[in-house]
Amino acid sequence: MSHNEIILTTERAGKTFGGLAAVSKVDLTLRRGDVIGLIGPNGAGKTTFVNIITGMLPISAGKVTYRGQDITGWPAYRVARLGIARTFQVVKPFRNMTVRENVAVGAMYGAGGARRSTREALRRADEVLEFVGLLDQRERHAEQLTLAWLKRLELAKALAMEPEVLFLDEVMAGLNPKEIEAAMDLVRQINQRGITLLIIEHVMKAIIGVCQNVFVLHYGQKLAEGRPEEVLRDPKVIEAYLGKKYAEQLEARDAEN
Amino acid sequence: MSGILIGQSAINVLLLSGVLTIAALGFSIVWGVMNIINLVHGAAIMLGAYVTFIAFTFAGIDPFLTIPISMVLLFGLGYLIQRNIINYVMRAPMLTTFLLTFGLEIIIINLAQFFFKSDLRAITTGYSGSSLTLYADPAANSSIEVPYIKLGALIVALLLTLLTHLLMSRTRLGRAIRSTGMDKDAAQLTGARISTIYALTFAISAGLAGAAGSLIAMTQSFQPGFGGTYTLYAFVIVVLGGLGSVPAVFLGALAFSLITVLTGLWQPGLTQAAAFALLVIMLVVRPSGIAGKAFYQ
Amino acid sequence: MREALRQNRNVVIVGLIGLGIFALLPLFGLSGFAYRTLTSMFLLIVTAQGWNLIGGYTGYAAFGNVAFFGLGAYATGILMYRHGWSFLPTILVGGLVAAGYAALIGLPVLRLRGHYFAIATLGVAEATREIVAWWTPVTDGAAGISLPFLKPITLAQNFFYYLALGMVIFGAFLTWFIIRRKLGYSWIAIRADEDAAKMLGINTTVSKVIAYALTAFLVGIAGSVYAYYNSFIAPEEVFKIDRTLQAILAVVLGGAGTIAGPIAGGVLFQLVSTFLIFSKPFGIDLGQFHVTIMGIFIVLVIIFTPRGVIDLVTRSAREARRVHADQAGGRRSTWTFLKDGARATRLILAQNRQQFKI
Repeated sequence: MSHNEIILTTERAGKTFGGLAAVSKVDLTLRRGDVIGLIGPNGAGKTTFVNIITGMLPISAGKVTYRGQDITGWPAYRVARLGIARTFQVVKPFRNMTVRENVAVGAMYGAGGARRSTREALRRADEVLEFVGLLDQRERHAEQLTLAWLKRLELAKALAMEPEVLFLDEVMAGLNPKEIEAAMDLVRQINQRGITLLIIEHVMKAIIGVCQNVFVLHYGQKLAEGRPEEVLRDPKVIEAYLGKKYAEQLEARDAEN
Repeated sequence: MSGILIGQSAINVLLLSGVLTIAALGFSIVWGVMNIINLVHGAAIMLGAYVTFIAFTFAGIDPFLTIPISMVLLFGLGYLIQRNIINYVMRAPMLTTFLLTFGLEIIIINLAQFFFKSDLRAITTGYSGSSLTLYADPAANSSIEVPYIKLGALIVALLLTLLTHLLMSRTRLGRAIRSTGMDKDAAQLTGARISTIYALTFAISAGLAGAAGSLIAMTQSFQPGFGGTYTLYAFVIVVLGGLGSVPAVFLGALAFSLITVLTGLWQPGLTQAAAFALLVIMLVVRPSGIAGKAFYQ
Repeated sequence: MREALRQNRNVVIVGLIGLGIFALLPLFGLSGFAYRTLTSMFLLIVTAQGWNLIGGYTGYAAFGNVAFFGLGAYATGILMYRHGWSFLPTILVGGLVAAGYAALIGLPVLRLRGHYFAIATLGVAEATREIVAWWTPVTDGAAGISLPFLKPITLAQNFFYYLALGMVIFGAFLTWFIIRRKLGYSWIAIRADEDAAKMLGINTTVSKVIAYALTAFLVGIAGSVYAYYNSFIAPEEVFKIDRTLQAILAVVLGGAGTIAGPIAGGVLFQLVSTFLIFSKPFGIDLGQFHVTIMGIFIVLVIIFTPRGVIDLVTRSAREARRVHADQAGGRRSTWTFLKDGARATRLILAQNRQQFKI
């Protein structure tokens, strides 16, 4: 467990859509340098939870604090400029721009954007593209990229913002095993740069491989929280999310060992 | 405000809203099902008015009997236009369909100006001047009047609204149209031919516009350019009522008529400004309309 | 990248040659009709350049831009007629009034998207016209305002010609200046995906309102100049929706979201419409069908070249060059190149036609 300073918390955060609670009373604490996995069945409210923290959707209840500052209900762009970045589950590239320009927009407007000119932002974009391995694609238009590259582009745009906290929303969905390995590597490297990560993912291998802690949402509420190996054996979690088959596999593997 | 003025204004609101419902109904269906803002709609209304005018003036047919003629002719024209032109932009961005239908509208209006001339036309039947007196106050020498022709137009309008409602909610065609509007890919799986459904939807809309034109021709004077205003009215009505159901269009038309009549009493020069101010407020405050979300039930 | 640069360079070269021709044309003597046609064309291009900022770059299909044209015209009209101002300062006021109005209505209206934004702006324009017609004490209502004539006529012709041409250059420069800056990037990002733009830290409201106000400024100054140039303005005349649509058509025709698009589109639009009205092909007087022809023109442009003629020409040329490079030796000539180009154009047009079909 890390004992670093607390960087982001939610207290009893909630979101209702026309009377229906999509997220309710969720308490979360992120410490600097954490890599937390956010898991749960489809429709559990994971993306909604990220949306209300980042200001993408107006929050209905509760409080969000970032580095001691109450940022509840702040508009998305202000949250972004503070140093909180995210990727989108359904990739949202700027299709009418080149890869390099896409990333440069993040560098222009993100946490470090105010002090950068467009030229510096483009230079910064090159650095980020090199880091995520997209440098040789930089002059292509985003609409020409494959899904795996588009997922990297999402990541690059977020990183160009120089965030302190980064939410990754299913960046590995739809990738093949080799691409997943590469993506996991990238996530570890990002974390080594001191960026705090909250990862929404269905790929359990990735969750176990990179997260120190796992946070399980079910029907918009916290179901469990703790170290991956413990949480993934929790009968409640298995029943709600992982399913019997997974539990049997787990037992079979234990028996082998 | 005197009681008679209030009573007459209420009657006027009701009479106006009947015709406006028919004028906006087809527009709403095309928008809801095909996701197209159909600017040709006003031109179709205008053509309906001229069908009635010509049938009445040259063949002596009673204007009410010309309504089916208008509807059939415009149904056919609508089908052809969708099949041969609109169909090419069904998946295009909104600006494209907007401009395309605008282009079609100005073609039709310009040709109409050539064939029908720009003169102001009106229809005068034997019963045009007479009206039903609902209440009279001899002392003040004023009364609440309902012109027979407008009463007839209101009845026809309500009837057609009801029929459209039944068509959309009770028939196989209506179900096919609604399911296409909700999810065209899923509808395709059920075996419906999307292009045929779209063409029929557009044709029904044009047919209703034809009926609206006939009704308008009976109640006011007109010239080829008048339809565009009704396209804008239709838009305001659909936004006021909410997209996606026949009753919502009626509610929207009622609200729109109320604003028009009230503003007309206060400042006749500002009726459109008031309607559009309301439109913008409505869009910003409650984009789903008075009736809220629905889908052609 | 190099390919794109070369195309850009070609477009810039063509643009500079065109500018030179238009700048020198009056020296060789122009008829009154030619002056009128070209001056109107320049003003149309400026309104198109205006629309291009909000509609082309930012992706918001504004349909009420004529409101800004009318406000600019009335600012000049009222200041000159009632307050005895000289003309030039009223242009600035006209632009600023229009920009201020755009910012004011933009705050609520720019929250809407798609059809709703389009019609809301259309509604604002209609309402503005009605208010101007109704506000008789200030605007003289439907009767309109007559402005003084600029004399002598040759001075007036050249003055308005070069003023309008200068505004086209200003519009192109303004566009070029902004789109390479952060503001320009934010517009293009908003057009592509507004949520993603917000998430990267773009204050989309501010970006959109600035785009709309700059649009209004350009359209407004065009209206100001039009007022004095036409020396008469009335609500029905300066708030006519056709003005908005001609500007949009010019942008779409040339290529939306490009600097050269509104210029190329405006020139082409004016050429075709003037030619059709005055050429009397086969002895047929098309004057009375001129709106019909305009409509057919719109329909054809929308179906066949939704990305504009510049894109069509450059793509055809690229394709022809590719085919040309493949052909070994002997057969290469300008003639075969043009033939290959024409074939490529036909192919692209056919593809475009099928592109959005259901």
